[in-house]
Amino acid sequence: MAEPAYTVASDSETTGEDKSSSAFPEIAIGIDVGTSKCSVAVWNGSEVELLKNTRNQKMMRSYVTFKDDIPSGGVSNQLSHEHEMLSGAAIFNMKRLIGRVDTDPVVHSSKSLPFLVQTLDIGVRPFIAALVNNVWRSTTPEEVLAIFLVELKAMAEVQLKRPIRNVVLTIPVSFSRFQVTRIERACAMAGLHVLRLMPEPTAVALLYAQQQQQAVNENIGGASEKIALILNMGAGYCDVAVAATAGGVSQIKALAGSTVGGEDILQNMMRHLLPDSEILFSNHGINEIKSMGLLRVATQDAIYKLSSQTSVQIDVDLGNELKICKVVDREEFEEVNRKVFEKCESLIIQCLHDAKVETKDVADIIAVGGCSYIPKIRNLVMSICKRQELYKGMNPLEAAVCGAALEGAVASGISDPFGSLDLLTIQVTPLAIGIRVEENNFVPIIPRNTTMPTRKELAFTTVRDNQTEVLIVVYEGEGEKVGKNHLLGYFKIMGIPPAPKGLPEINVCMDIDASNVLRVLAGVVLPGSRHPAIPVMEVRMPTVDDGHGWCAEALDRTYGSALDLVTVQKKI
Amino acid sequence: MWKSKVWNLTLLSTILRRRPTLLSISHFQSNSTSHFPPTISRTSYFDFLGNPNFPGKTFCSESAEKSHVHVRCWSCGNVANGSLFLFCDSCRSIQPLDQSVDYFQIFGLERKYDIGVENLEGKYKDWQKKLHPDLVHSKSEKERGFAAEQSARVIDAYCTLSKPLLRAIYIMRLEGVDVDEEETLSDPELLSEILEIREAVEEAADSQELNQIQSQMQEKLDHWSSSFANAFQCRKFEEALNSIRRMTYYHRVNEEIVKKL
Ligand SMILES: [Zn+2]
Repeated sequence: MAEPAYTVASDSETTGEDKSSSAFPEIAIGIDVGTSKCSVAVWNGSEVELLKNTRNQKMMRSYVTFKDDIPSGGVSNQLSHEHEMLSGAAIFNMKRLIGRVDTDPVVHSSKSLPFLVQTLDIGVRPFIAALVNNVWRSTTPEEVLAIFLVELKAMAEVQLKRPIRNVVLTIPVSFSRFQVTRIERACAMAGLHVLRLMPEPTAVALLYAQQQQQAVNENIGGASEKIALILNMGAGYCDVAVAATAGGVSQIKALAGSTVGGEDILQNMMRHLLPDSEILFSNHGINEIKSMGLLRVATQDAIYKLSSQTSVQIDVDLGNELKICKVVDREEFEEVNRKVFEKCESLIIQCLHDAKVETKDVADIIAVGGCSYIPKIRNLVMSICKRQELYKGMNPLEAAVCGAALEGAVASGISDPFGSLDLLTIQVTPLAIGIRVEENNFVPIIPRNTTMPTRKELAFTTVRDNQTEVLIVVYEGEGEKVGKNHLLGYFKIMGIPPAPKGLPEINVCMDIDASNVLRVLAGVVLPGSRHPAIPVMEVRMPTVDDGHGWCAEALDRTYGSALDLVTVQKKI
Repeated sequence: MWKSKVWNLTLLSTILRRRPTLLSISHFQSNSTSHFPPTISRTSYFDFLGNPNFPGKTFCSESAEKSHVHVRCWSCGNVANGSLFLFCDSCRSIQPLDQSVDYFQIFGLERKYDIGVENLEGKYKDWQKKLHPDLVHSKSEKERGFAAEQSARVIDAYCTLSKPLLRAIYIMRLEGVDVDEEETLSDPELLSEILEIREAVEEAADSQELNQIQSQMQEKLDHWSSSFANAFQCRKFEEALNSIRRMTYYHRVNEEIVKKL
């Protein structure tokens, strides 16, 4: 085929802001890049349509194989056999790896994948490589994702017969703002402009809002507000949202998410079937990779079967005189994955609690994503909400991408004569954003689940007499100690006029604007003055780069607690 | 300019402490050369306690008494009928922020404390459908800026009016009564009561006990909320202030319980 050549831009290129947004109504496409599968959808003028690749697939495997000189992804590539993907030549699960450092447990759990994930445990990005003709060829999650997105873009352009630039992408709730910048970087490398990033369950909430609105228009349902609990669990992540919907407007009440998903279930089962599997596969020899691939496929198959049958016979020859012959029943499967299911439960309970919603007020329970087919997942969400059934109006595998496509049309300024695009999602912050204070404590300035756009401000002060400098270290997350959270950036305030400790007022303001850009502002005021003592600092975050895992440690080593600050204490 | 008024207002979250200074960062932002639409130029305040239910930015410095003259739509020139003018009904253009429109007017409500909170959400969503920055992507940078400001203000209005305590403080301010949130607690009776409750929260053995204290607090909150309503209606502002003080403390106890639960 004589198609235009698509090239991936340099990794060092920063994501540029697109200024050509207003000219013509190019409808942004919706993309759901899942950990294991991916799909693309677009508003076709009257409804959302999923695009298919040349092999007529709507759901495409998320991987890139480096078999030949030119890498090819799961959009265009035809696997001769499932094992080809597990030969070490293909990189997958990039959504689990992107924007993480080599001390991250999620990266460590990826070391048993067939391709190479090497960690030095010093807080830098992990070394990732594909096996090509007996050579480990290095790459990065951004590059892999970009190659994959280039294929998706080409596929969409052929079908829609127009150039594609604007996209709405779904992301996990638990993604940090740093990870978001890596996703944006990958998109920029693929020549795509991210019009909007939607936490996955909020895309589902938008689809739900549209369906409710349609029901009202057709006089099926009442126009009153409906609260939905949405659980979206795929291979990589488990996300929960509570949304209040009325008149096509979906107000997100709360979000909760974690890096737990089908991949964990799969690995738990592999470990259960072959207890030493991780040690066995850790050296990534050719034979071991092959055995690992065989085990992975057999386990995947067994898990799939356990969704519809109560027990399954696993019979697989892994070579190297390793044979597995075992019957696993559903109870055993649930016990092996007890921690995963408990995590899901706690996320749902937390989300309902944060949303201040009682289960009796939940109108619909929506479970989507690949893991929503697992009976235990369906049962636990129903039992928490004290319901007998789940919402039936959505395809669990297509809901998120359909929501993204709706958002793409809405954000592109498209209107529909029948009011089908008369929609809006009001988003909240998925994670708290705050700064480090004395003793490595984290003080949130914008709490999680704050409606965006937003601006919040808190006052801090010095911990030492005549302290002239303070370090503002910005983190995102829920941990009480900064070590548990994601570092976003840091800067120093200098030239604070000498004063007794506790006197200078250091105001830190955080602003998330309508484009979801985070800015941190910090200023110093002395008592008796109304004006800042020194120029206010304004820093767009995140500022960290890939080596950020050791930044916090380096700061600690260099400055200790000398530049600490502390929250202004409350008194009675 | 509004900025000079800001200094007279005090912070809800600083009830326990006097802090004479206040840095309004919005002011600095307006000089920024960023190519983004001018972000929300609300007056913002700090929230010393990190207390999520006390949005520190809730109060605006509008002079509520300013009579509203007829304003023309900046885009089509249409004259607004009525005083509320966030959005032009004839050309659907979003209008620049008008601080003289108060939160009650935004929600089409009479300025009184007792309002039907259950109707707020619907009206809030109606506004957001017209004003939310996500929906004006194809409009000019200028109008996107208006959208960001208006939408943020509607969020503030909704948060303020839907919470009794914030609504009470807001309505007092509209009456020109400054709620001094920085005063130290001087009433020994209230002080010892609060200390006692806090101790009970501190020592509560289980969530059942906490829930019990929480429902006690809710009862007290309801009680003082209606005291406030009466006092405010009779324009007995000293009494009204006293009710606000009580509500603030009970509310804070509730916040602590929620943290522990
Ligand atoms: Zn007009």
